[in-house]
Amino acid sequence: MPLSLSDPTWYPIASSEDLPFRHVYQGQLLGRELAVWRADDGNVNIWENRCLHRGVRLSIGINEGQELKCQYHGWRYANRSAGCTYIPAHPADAPARRIENRKYPVREAFGLIWSAANDERPFTPFDGAEGKDWFALRPMPVNAEPEDVVAGLARLAPDDQPADLLPGLAVQLGAVLYFVQPIDAARAVIRGLLPERPSDEMTTLRHYNEVLTKLRDRLERAAARKEAPAPLTPLYEKVSADLATMPDIAIPRGNTFNVVVRRKWQNADGVISFELADRDGKHLPTFQPGAHIDVHLPNGLVRQYSLTNGPGDLMSYVIGVKQESASKGGSKVLVESVREGDVLAISEPRNNFPLRRDATRTLLIAGGIGITPLLSMARFLDKSSLPYELHYFVRAGENVAFKSELEVLHGRVDTHIGLAREAIREKVNALLGPYQFANHVYICGPGAMLEMVQEVAAALGWPDDAVHFEYFQNDKVIDSSSSFDIELARSAMTLHVPAGKTILETMREAGLTVPSSCEQGACGTCLTTVMEGEVDHQDVYLNKTEKASHTCMMTCVSRAKSGRLVLDI
Amino acid sequence: MITLYDFELSGNCYKLRLLMSILNLPYEIVPVDFFPGREHKSDWFLRLNPFGQLPVLQDGDLTLSDSGAILAYLASKYDGSGLWFPNDPAIIAEVLRWHAVADDITATSSAARLALGYDYPFDIEKSQKGAHRIFRIMDEHLWFGEKQGRDWLCTPAHPTTADIACFPYVMLSEEGGISRQDYPALRRWTDRVRRIPGFTVMSGIFPAGKALEQA
Repeated sequence: MPLSLSDPTWYPIASSEDLPFRHVYQGQLLGRELAVWRADDGNVNIWENRCLHRGVRLSIGINEGQELKCQYHGWRYANRSAGCTYIPAHPADAPARRIENRKYPVREAFGLIWSAANDERPFTPFDGAEGKDWFALRPMPVNAEPEDVVAGLARLAPDDQPADLLPGLAVQLGAVLYFVQPIDAARAVIRGLLPERPSDEMTTLRHYNEVLTKLRDRLERAAARKEAPAPLTPLYEKVSADLATMPDIAIPRGNTFNVVVRRKWQNADGVISFELADRDGKHLPTFQPGAHIDVHLPNGLVRQYSLTNGPGDLMSYVIGVKQESASKGGSKVLVESVREGDVLAISEPRNNFPLRRDATRTLLIAGGIGITPLLSMARFLDKSSLPYELHYFVRAGENVAFKSELEVLHGRVDTHIGLAREAIREKVNALLGPYQFANHVYICGPGAMLEMVQEVAAALGWPDDAVHFEYFQNDKVIDSSSSFDIELARSAMTLHVPAGKTILETMREAGLTVPSSCEQGACGTCLTTVMEGEVDHQDVYLNKTEKASHTCMMTCVSRAKSGRLVLDI
Repeated sequence: MITLYDFELSGNCYKLRLLMSILNLPYEIVPVDFFPGREHKSDWFLRLNPFGQLPVLQDGDLTLSDSGAILAYLASKYDGSGLWFPNDPAIIAEVLRWHAVADDITATSSAARLALGYDYPFDIEKSQKGAHRIFRIMDEHLWFGEKQGRDWLCTPAHPTTADIACFPYVMLSEEGGISRQDYPALRRWTDRVRRIPGFTVMSGIFPAGKALEQA
């Protein structure tokens, strides 16, 4: 029977020991090349062996522990999801979260790594698999048809004890199980398993290696005498446009999925942490450092929380929530009424605070709960061995959150406790120093601190595009008294925005689907290009240069100074 | 001062650049236009090495040729640790055995690369088959080595010039149409070589991820 590209059988494609620390294994199954790598958390990834960008083999890439980096242009892909997390040619942009490489099913069992061409069949262990300490032999690649290899193995059996042919190109010879991995129409690998660890490992391994080497030589001599079948020609399907490109319209606010609160704990004085996981134990969507999620709360409010996770860390999201005595609304509900085991609706991660990974110096400055996105950034830089400094300003020692996560970082992590406002300013001034090329600073914390750092940085000659910040909220009082017209260039529509109503609301009432998240001018989701007109900026997301350019605006709070705005919508 | 007569894309010249980088030895380079200029067959070069082969290395008044011989010279003279070319009869024999394998790899893997990329009239199929035959034996040797706690081609717990000599044309084999997919232990050994402190790259040879102790 010829091999089929759509064969759903699970075959072993490597030994467990073929995947040592930070290695990328090159494999193949049924004509399809595979890049196989074990992340530092032990998870095994089996991906199509090509970068989505230029098709270079990912098996020559670099295993960075939780991300695989393509050797060619440095695209990085996350453990588990194979989602792209960074595109060096666009260092200031977060790649579309949906750019995802093709993955194959994976299972590690009995000393072997198993995969299949598709996920039509669940993995089922072979008969009698359980309860034994299986011991893998040295794999033996053979240039012969997989079926001929199975037949050759069967012929090794003594006459009085014939071999058992098992389903899935496998043969049992006495106690030894042989699986034949169909690499291609005329190539195979013999993977043998002994039911227990032999007493003299080396002698046993040498013995079977010799037996299989002789078999290989016989099979290859026989294969050379007959016409080799044509190699399988797997279709390298294009990754669907949905996965390979930026979605047309960013995910609208209502688009959510459910997660379960796996753990809720007091992380520090005034900080409660929540661990959110998929209900079926699957991995969550890819995110980039600096990303946040919308959390839909039981009382109907929607609040944004930054992910603190490191790269490829997708089995749950961990957020930190400030427990304020006078807290109103969002955080209060989370802290007081959401319990472990509850189900919450969250949005897919969105990143309006992207981290550049091409800086010669990266300074992360956190104030209080502002540590959350910066912890994620530090973890990414840490895994990639890129230099960074993290400065964490807190009121008191007991306010230091994520202590154990900060302790395992290799970079410089300084905690500054109980400094007065002026002292913080002096400290930041000293930390920043005069601006140098390719230096970047990221700040997250209370509004007053963000403004102070921006002022200090500007005075030291730091350009706006080197100073990245994220506000938790917009404390400004929004003046919505103006009224004006908006012309939506792409939608060919002119709308009137009356006093008391936002541009966003006006567009939605007219039937347009437009993305938004915080709706208070802090998160950056509703960023819109302005083609004409003068903007009355009321947000805290855009920096001074961006605001002065009048080429972009946040439609959730900002308005027009001119009578008319032309928007690229 | 050491002078290396060098061709940037030559794996044999790279062997010397690699060892000198690891040993932190300063040297000067005289570029020789091996391709397409065939400068290694020019009169001035043949006076340095009548065999007309790269690399040639000059150290003071001494003029040396053959990459394997020069590796042994550099390690014996400049490696204070004595680990790269140990002064022990049995190990010297072992190292030289692999220097000879390195020449066989050059004759096969490098020949296939020259035929495919540099227009040399070599028998491509024969060269590729020859390389696969060597890689099979190396993979087996390295696989059993890993099982016994030996990371390198030779017995010492430290890499030797044998690893340097065999490495480049193993790494460049894909340019000769020779896949290393069937040689997982050989691929892991190339990771280990690329993690040696002082490792340097050449066109077609990329760095590897960090080792456990460096991460």
